[in-house]
Amino acid sequence: MGIHNAVKNIKSISAYQVIQFVIGALFIGYILWRLNEILRVNPIYGPDTWMRFAIAGLILGSVYALIAIGYTLVYGILFMINFAHGEIMMIGAFGGYFVFEALNAIPTPTAADPELTFLSAQPVISVLLAFIVGMSVSALSGYFLEKIAYRPLRSAPRLVPLISAIGASIFLQNAGQLLFGAQRRDYLNPEVLTRGNGWEFPVGEGTVILPYTGALTFVLSFLILIGLFTLVQRTRLGRAMRAVAENKPVAALMGVDVDGVISRTFIISGAMAGAAGVMWGIHLGLVYYFVGFIPGIKAFTAAVLGGIGNIPGAMLGGFFLGIVEAIGPPILGLSFQLKDVIAFGILVLVLIFRPTGIMGEVLTEEKV
Amino acid sequence: MKAYLKNAATAGIIFGIITTFLFLINFIGTAADLIGDITKSRPGSSILGLSAVMFNQLIFLGLIGIWAGARGSRKDSRLEDTWKHVLIGGALAGAVHGLIAGSLAFLVGSLNTAGVKINEYLSQILPEVIRIFLLNKTPLQGALFYLVFMTLMGMLGGLFGRGVLRSTWRKNIGARRKELWNSLTHHEKVLKIRANPLTRYVVYGLLLLFVFLMPLQIGQYWNYTVGTIGIYVLLGLGLNIVVGMAGLLDLGYVAFFAIGAYSVALLTAPTPHNLQWSFWLVLPIGIILASLTGILLGIPVLRMRGDYLAIVTLGFGEIIRILSKSVLLTPFSGGPKGVFNVGAPTLFGKPFNSDVNFVWLITLGCLLVIFVTNRLQNSRVGRAWEAMREDETVAQAMGINTLTHKLMAFAIGAAFAGLGGILFASRNQFTGPEDHSLMVSINVLSLVIVGGMGSIPGVIAGAFVLKGLPEILRQLENYRVLFFGVLLVVMMVIRPEGLIPGSRQKLELQHTDKSQAPPDTADASEGSSPS
Repeated sequence: MGIHNAVKNIKSISAYQVIQFVIGALFIGYILWRLNEILRVNPIYGPDTWMRFAIAGLILGSVYALIAIGYTLVYGILFMINFAHGEIMMIGAFGGYFVFEALNAIPTPTAADPELTFLSAQPVISVLLAFIVGMSVSALSGYFLEKIAYRPLRSAPRLVPLISAIGASIFLQNAGQLLFGAQRRDYLNPEVLTRGNGWEFPVGEGTVILPYTGALTFVLSFLILIGLFTLVQRTRLGRAMRAVAENKPVAALMGVDVDGVISRTFIISGAMAGAAGVMWGIHLGLVYYFVGFIPGIKAFTAAVLGGIGNIPGAMLGGFFLGIVEAIGPPILGLSFQLKDVIAFGILVLVLIFRPTGIMGEVLTEEKV
Repeated sequence: MKAYLKNAATAGIIFGIITTFLFLINFIGTAADLIGDITKSRPGSSILGLSAVMFNQLIFLGLIGIWAGARGSRKDSRLEDTWKHVLIGGALAGAVHGLIAGSLAFLVGSLNTAGVKINEYLSQILPEVIRIFLLNKTPLQGALFYLVFMTLMGMLGGLFGRGVLRSTWRKNIGARRKELWNSLTHHEKVLKIRANPLTRYVVYGLLLLFVFLMPLQIGQYWNYTVGTIGIYVLLGLGLNIVVGMAGLLDLGYVAFFAIGAYSVALLTAPTPHNLQWSFWLVLPIGIILASLTGILLGIPVLRMRGDYLAIVTLGFGEIIRILSKSVLLTPFSGGPKGVFNVGAPTLFGKPFNSDVNFVWLITLGCLLVIFVTNRLQNSRVGRAWEAMREDETVAQAMGINTLTHKLMAFAIGAAFAGLGGILFASRNQFTGPEDHSLMVSINVLSLVIVGGMGSIPGVIAGAFVLKGLPEILRQLENYRVLFFGVLLVVMMVIRPEGLIPGSRQKLELQHTDKSQAPPDTADASEGSSPS
């Protein structure tokens, strides 16, 4: 019996699966060879550089995780890619930017420093305010986005809402450009959070800086992620969201307000994208109309990596992608110019080899 | 609160937000310039004590105000459509609209007088723009003016909605026009002429003659524009096969365009390889390369459905663009600077490279592609694609090999894009990474969707509307892409089947069967558009 089954299994393997396996094996072999090359045979970077890469990757990854959750939440409920999610993040980043600029215009002179402004005098309040404004602006735009561009298309064929989402994305991007101009703006941080400042600690022969902005980003996003996880798992709204994701008609029969839950999902995912936008501005220091596009696509990659629709998966996928982007180019022997190519390459590879993602939630064919 | 008042207030708020947005992106000023161009008013002249620009701006704002009033006074199904309701509704909508516009005017006006440089943050709001918006008055006067002006316009809009849009005489005229049209098209002689195959050839022959003679007359600039439109028709017809017929959303379509363009550039240009092959030799090579890439990309990717495909192809398009300008490939592809002096075709020893020649060449390409698409659509393959688009599982059950058919769609679409790329690079004598940005894919997708997925005349119409109109309305250049975005959303919400829909899409996407509805109700819904 066992032999018979084995023969049957071999027969059912198609040429495609063989090619898949060969490509996968070659790829893994190449990575192992490169790792051996750069770590043992010809070490180009010391441990301090690797540490720096890892820190940068983790910080970036925490931002990706926040955005990725938005994709996953919406996909889990509506089975559509919210293409405009990156633009929602851009709106949040601008919200925070304007709060900082406005607070910087309020003078609070002291005897020691006559040019002190509110922004630097009260950094905690300023940052808090920036996050609150950024998140609310993004949440609001998420709500209206759903109401205007997606809700009328609830029962349409699947291509229709996707195209509408692409249109919304183009619209928001260009509205951003027309409103705020095409130039890149420097994000004005409170003095405490000057970019580049941080805790220094020795690793190997050099020192590694853990920037304050990075620490703030990482800790805050971790707190938000925990908050979201409890929201989805423990609260009434979270239960309603899971019910709607599972089956809309049945959820409606059980007394769940489906439209309301979908609206709230967009508000939550928008708020998280807004937080990510403010973090992006504080940590990386640049904001312009195109700032959300590439992070948006990468966060989608992260969501797919973790298995779309799966919340812990999206978090893990975000961190994974951040780290890969930081240490991937040196490992593969490519220039950092090509880090976007690596991210897209991972997306393609994951979709080819394991479309259900790392966490491997098995989706029905209808969902994929 | 009564329902109709609520409706009016909502309309007022919506239009207030729209007016604010239009002001902030300075669309109002641009529209005023456009109106000035159309009415040929001299910029220095003054009308009713206002300069021409201000007057034109008021015309534009007034139109928005009338629209707001018309929408705010929409007929409530529970109430009678009385003049009183219409006036009150329109006035309320206008007042709310004016309140928002007025507060905006007051805010920016007082900020401007306080010396805040608004245009540092909102790049379009120059002091001059604010001055024109306030009509040379103080902020408070300007705000009050807009409150009164918008209220009046709202009332006017309410009257307009009741008196014109929903009036019985308009319905009557509409019905009579339809009757006349029907009697004309169903007339015996007309039917006879239409049934005669000769008519078709005569029409086609005249069109061909027109297309052949037109480039000689219209000059260099318009030849360039017509050429661009033609290339977009090519691209659109290619994407139409992939998206419209086979139902595969490809956002990386520009990759095949890039491969066509780069193959002609690298093989015919003096730098970086100095191969200098003949254009006619490169033409088939480029097309085959593009379609091979389509197949290679398709094999792994086409097992996914819908949304994943969109993102992966988008990623692929970006990969090609980033690679083409990376340091890694600079010796091979010319890097971020691009490739110059791309070769042009020669015909019987003569150079074939003037604008007129390229328009002919592109038109020839379009005709070829239209012919191929038309034959494909009505073939077994075309029907298989459409079956696949409607329901993949059922198509499979009917014995259609979905993978090979998808690959075929991808390969043929890619070949058309490759042809487009070759013509584009050869005409411009240049190609570089910025020619192949994501925007090209988005443009092509927009024109296919606006024109009508799966319909050849639709795609051609879409190319003319989206690539031709911006050339005529040059003032609106900055707002073109913004407009594409709005258009995509609006089309999806109110008319997903496109301007000239293919016959099957029409049936699929129209949820309500309009042919069964009584004719007068179909007419009445025209005045109101969902927001």
